[in-house]
Amino acid sequence: MTNNDLLLGRVPSELNTRPEVHNLGADACLFSVRSDLTIDGTVQDVWVVVTQTKIFTVPTHSQPTALITGPFLLKDAQKVQTRHTVGSGFLQLLIDGTYVDVARYSNARREIFGKVRAELERLIQGHPLNTEALVHPSEFACTKCGLPLPARRAVCPRCAGGRSVFFRSVGLMKPYQNSIVLLLCILVMGVGLDLLPPYLTRILVDKVLTPKENIHWLPLILLGLVGASLGRQFLNVIIGRTSSMIGTRVSKELRERLQTKLMSLSVDYYDRHSAGSLMSRVLWDVEYFQGFVWQVAQGFLLNVILVLGIGAVLFMMNWHLALLVLLPVPFVVIGTIFFWKYVYPQYYRLSDSQSKMSQLLTGLLQGIRLVKLFGQEKREEQRFSDSARYMQNARRSVEMSVATFNPIMGFVFGLGGLIIWYAGGHRVFEGHLTLGTLMAFFGYMGMFYGPISAMSVFSNWLTGFMSAGQRVFEVLDANVGITDEPEATPLNNINGAIELRNVTFGYDPYSPVLKNVSIKIEPGQFVGIVGKSGSGKTTLVNLICRFYDPQDGQVLIDNQDVRTLAQHDIHKHVALVLQEPFLFRATIMDNIAYGRPGASPLAVMDAAKAANAHDFIARAPSAYDTKLGERGAGLSGGERQRISIARALLCDPKILILDEATSSVDTESEQEIQKALVRLCKGRTTIAIAHRLSTLKNADVIYVIDEGKVAESGSHEQLLELKGVYHNLVRIQTELTRLES
Amino acid sequence: MSDTTLPTTSDNRLSITGVRRLLPETATIFEGAFSLLHCAVKGDQMYRGVFAVLMFPIRHPDRYISLRYTDEKDKVGEIGVIENLSAFPKETQTLIQAVLKKQYHEHIIHRVYGVRHEFGLLFFDVETQRGRQEFIMPWRHDRAEDFGAEGKVLLDVNDNRFIVPDVLALPTKDQRRFTNFIYW
Repeated sequence: MTNNDLLLGRVPSELNTRPEVHNLGADACLFSVRSDLTIDGTVQDVWVVVTQTKIFTVPTHSQPTALITGPFLLKDAQKVQTRHTVGSGFLQLLIDGTYVDVARYSNARREIFGKVRAELERLIQGHPLNTEALVHPSEFACTKCGLPLPARRAVCPRCAGGRSVFFRSVGLMKPYQNSIVLLLCILVMGVGLDLLPPYLTRILVDKVLTPKENIHWLPLILLGLVGASLGRQFLNVIIGRTSSMIGTRVSKELRERLQTKLMSLSVDYYDRHSAGSLMSRVLWDVEYFQGFVWQVAQGFLLNVILVLGIGAVLFMMNWHLALLVLLPVPFVVIGTIFFWKYVYPQYYRLSDSQSKMSQLLTGLLQGIRLVKLFGQEKREEQRFSDSARYMQNARRSVEMSVATFNPIMGFVFGLGGLIIWYAGGHRVFEGHLTLGTLMAFFGYMGMFYGPISAMSVFSNWLTGFMSAGQRVFEVLDANVGITDEPEATPLNNINGAIELRNVTFGYDPYSPVLKNVSIKIEPGQFVGIVGKSGSGKTTLVNLICRFYDPQDGQVLIDNQDVRTLAQHDIHKHVALVLQEPFLFRATIMDNIAYGRPGASPLAVMDAAKAANAHDFIARAPSAYDTKLGERGAGLSGGERQRISIARALLCDPKILILDEATSSVDTESEQEIQKALVRLCKGRTTIAIAHRLSTLKNADVIYVIDEGKVAESGSHEQLLELKGVYHNLVRIQTELTRLES
Repeated sequence: MSDTTLPTTSDNRLSITGVRRLLPETATIFEGAFSLLHCAVKGDQMYRGVFAVLMFPIRHPDRYISLRYTDEKDKVGEIGVIENLSAFPKETQTLIQAVLKKQYHEHIIHRVYGVRHEFGLLFFDVETQRGRQEFIMPWRHDRAEDFGAEGKVLLDVNDNRFIVPDVLALPTKDQRRFTNFIYW
């Protein structure tokens, strides 16, 4: 969206001259916004004009200049909404009980029309226009360079750091600059030693073997060759060790930085990025940095020095032959570009085929019972066979390309040798060149082509490194999202009062999940939250925990806006028991004491006892030292839940949130958990989200959330008397229970 | 439970509690005020402001059309499903096609003139049914999903949909440009 897409207080100049626009009172225009589609989906600029009293749309270029929709009187509209369809959206007004299309826009305009919806809602409710909200900069494009961002509020990859991935990576090596300088000096020394053997060979042939004299030079020359070889290997050892030392340290520090950054990022970031993708950045992308020093030193610098050094020597020895040596170089460059462009992407496909096969196998093995139960073995065999064929094709494609590319390159290099044999041989015969010089020339030529060929390998590595580095820096540069104020109010002791004041929130800011919700919870109250799936119950809890900040309104704990409190302080006083308890791969003791690592064994046992977990833990051979598998494997659902309750209990929170804590366990386990919860709730503000309404009978207040709003509130009895949504839910559940029994 | 095809009796049993079939003899569809689509179902109420959604947009793009409405509480409900639109009168078919056009806004890619990778983003230069277009998408697996057996749907930075119905049907050069980056 450009600045020209939204005009405040006026209609666009091209419409200003149209009499019908004037007749509609566009002089009282509040704002005009440009859409890119007509209602029937034709791509065309359409202006949506909003005045104090009405809204209408006008096409930018039309013959005749008819209105597309409207005018709609705002006083006739009961509500406004944006309805998202596939690839586009509609701005709609509710008139006479039916939503009417006002304007259509492509997803590129979704953000601005979300703001327009919010402002129209204000106008319909009689509030003044909030210009600031309307002109708020886009969260989907860089405010500096305008580049679309990979995700909402993501860091602009173009502006991030200003420097390229390569130079930022070089910056990471700064603490090791002394070692790197040493490394470079050794590299130059190494090149010097590499140049020695062909030179000694030349002396050996020209001064000893051909004239058959100076035989006493032979052992000295051989000694020189041995010395050069030994010296080279010694330097290689130092280079390898130094590179490894720097590489391992850099990658360790980078992983630590990434982990610290990941811990500081808000929940919102994790909504946008999969755990697998983030794991891959920490585990595999960082691996590229391990080889950075080695690749830059050995793979690039060394080869550049070698090419320049040997090239100079070749020209000094015989510039005619040296020019002939250069003949294959353009072909090598062309070949490298070809490889880059057409062969290298095939590696991506191979890696994709391997990953797809791994996904298929994982799913197959995990769901083996289901496959057998539905008798789908043959079908799964076919699916696996298809996947194997895809992998076979991908691998064949890579290997066939490489098998063709390498011999061609080998031939090109070989051709260089043949040219030198031909031209050099002639020169030796003519007496313009000694045999020793020709032999030395061949020695240097091999060393000259080697680095050129290696440079193409380096370029391949560099591609992988640049994309890996990009992904790593993307995490490091990510906006933390929810941050503490510099002078956040400390929250040492709390009473546990919670208030949501006119809260509006949506994960997509322009599609609210909670709409103007107000809830007041007194300290120590037991509050139930009920509602259908997707009604906004868990979102409400997410806001209290300050995993997200509302777009509008306030969340208060003990009358203090949570945005003024340190997140650490909030989380110290709030415990959350989820429907699917998450247990770490650690002992039962470690899992219970996760929030209080220093807790004494007795305190841990007390917590487990209160959570009705102590007895089943005691039955295990290693009791509290029992090591749990992935996500608590080895325990039943009810047992896992009771351990998670013990974990919450040990932290002694003032606010306890139970999010469907008993909905995925059997009746017996539920009873055990309920007993534990009765103990747990005493003296704490408790918010329980539950599908089984029977668990909320004793709640002080029950809030019924429907379509993001508080539909009803009151005690169980009061809500039953209302005969509304809650009454209906209870009736359905009673019937279900009767049917089950 | 090992049979892949359920017996007809089971189909009939399911249909009793399943989706409501909308037939020409039970459903009257017409255009009302504000050019909105209305649907009157025999033995049921009249629904205003109806919109349509394809239940199998890839496998059966002309059939199984769900007619839906939004009530005053902003809840979306289904009126029923039209299994075969051609069974309805021509004017009804036109009306339904028009509301379907409002539901889907997609760009069908016929040619791929260029793909450039920069900053983790792919810059596409393509030819669609609306002419030559450029768009930018993040180079991520979740932004290019399968579309049928051989197709791909690309989601640009704004979630606009660019569809290649059959990658293998693209000209060879375009195919190579495309699969160099969208290789999965």
